[in-house]
Amino acid sequence: MTTLTSQQRQDLIDELPRLKRYCLSLTSDPADADDLLQITVERLLEKGMPADAHVAKWSHRVCKNLWIDEIRSRDVRNRYALSEGVIDGAGTTSANTEESVQLDRVSAAMEQLPAEQRAALVQVAVEGRSYAEAAAFLEVPIGTIMSRVARARKALAANLEWREEREA
Amino acid sequence: MGVAKKVKDMRDDRKNVVDMDGSRVDDDHLLSMYIDNELDAEQTIAFVSRLKSESALRTRLTQLEENDGLIKRVYAQSADSIPHQVAALISADNVTLLRPVRQWRRWTTAAVAASCAVVIAMVLNTNQTAVFNPMTIDAQMAHALESSPSRAAGWETLDNERTFRSVLTFPAADGKWCREFMLVHRESNWRGVACRDDGNWVNQVVGSEVFLNQETQYRPAGADDSQSVARFIDETATDVALGPQQEAALILSGW
Repeated sequence: MTTLTSQQRQDLIDELPRLKRYCLSLTSDPADADDLLQITVERLLEKGMPADAHVAKWSHRVCKNLWIDEIRSRDVRNRYALSEGVIDGAGTTSANTEESVQLDRVSAAMEQLPAEQRAALVQVAVEGRSYAEAAAFLEVPIGTIMSRVARARKALAANLEWREEREA
Repeated sequence: MGVAKKVKDMRDDRKNVVDMDGSRVDDDHLLSMYIDNELDAEQTIAFVSRLKSESALRTRLTQLEENDGLIKRVYAQSADSIPHQVAALISADNVTLLRPVRQWRRWTTAAVAASCAVVIAMVLNTNQTAVFNPMTIDAQMAHALESSPSRAAGWETLDNERTFRSVLTFPAADGKWCREFMLVHRESNWRGVACRDDGNWVNQVVGSEVFLNQETQYRPAGADDSQSVARFIDETATDVALGPQQEAALILSGW
């Protein structure tokens, strides 16, 4: 496999914001998302991709596989120990405004979703992909995307209602 | 059991469950598909009719759409914070990675819980010159870590381009000895921590700094870099740094 062509590099740079969001949807943590993004880029630069590869799809697939590898190799005890000190937001400011509180609440609720639901919801609701496009990106059936997105929205709504009641 | 009996025995307590292409979906599924424009024309007409007459359904729709808006804002923020070196790495001409050195900040070996500010080494084919990688510990640096006493001032020359100073030695939680050091390579200044593992020194964290005056004054190049090293030491050290005599004895004993 050859190294990346100039066009592939440019396409990859253009894809970085979406790839970063995908990393965050997988990891639910900004620092880990940064790590996953960089590791993904390193892998792409190291291994390259076929000349006819769809840069966005290929990079998303590499990213997902790297994350799966990380999950599998991680020590379970460390994972749960670290999850107690989870970062509670995806880059919200420190100012205690109503909006930042609300966004923190949403970030925390998103973090509670199963990773596959979160990834599906981000692809559809944030990236604006159709179910068919999201299914192709995530390499799952369309019906699975429909189900995951609906369940994610339902769980998120329930979680946010609970948080609002608790804070009231 | 016959198919008819199986269907009869199925219980479904969800409200307003409808059949859709062989699947049974509830209102939340329908709302989700409506939001995503995934209902066909006939389904959309039927659902819009329901929305007009069912206030609870409209309320639920508003709630889900508002949540979507919040999610978009949360993730829009994340895309604004792409590490600058990532785009630079892609853009650099004729880049060949020496090796992927980026490590997960939160999940390194079980004994270490630190954030590593890792620099990726690049070889630029244009001049066939290897760009310096502060994470690499070569023989000269390993020798310095192995044998140089810690000091508050002064530098040890490693080679034509690098000077080195051991700053302190401390015990880590996993029983290894670690040393904080400062390293100067041409115009670049680094601070890091290396730990001795089975006779080999391995860099754990390295951050860039600006040495205003090499002897005494320095400031971190970025808050994250400085914090990475300090945080590593805070989280890893099980005791205070060794005094000069203790350190000298440790070095003499071969660690």
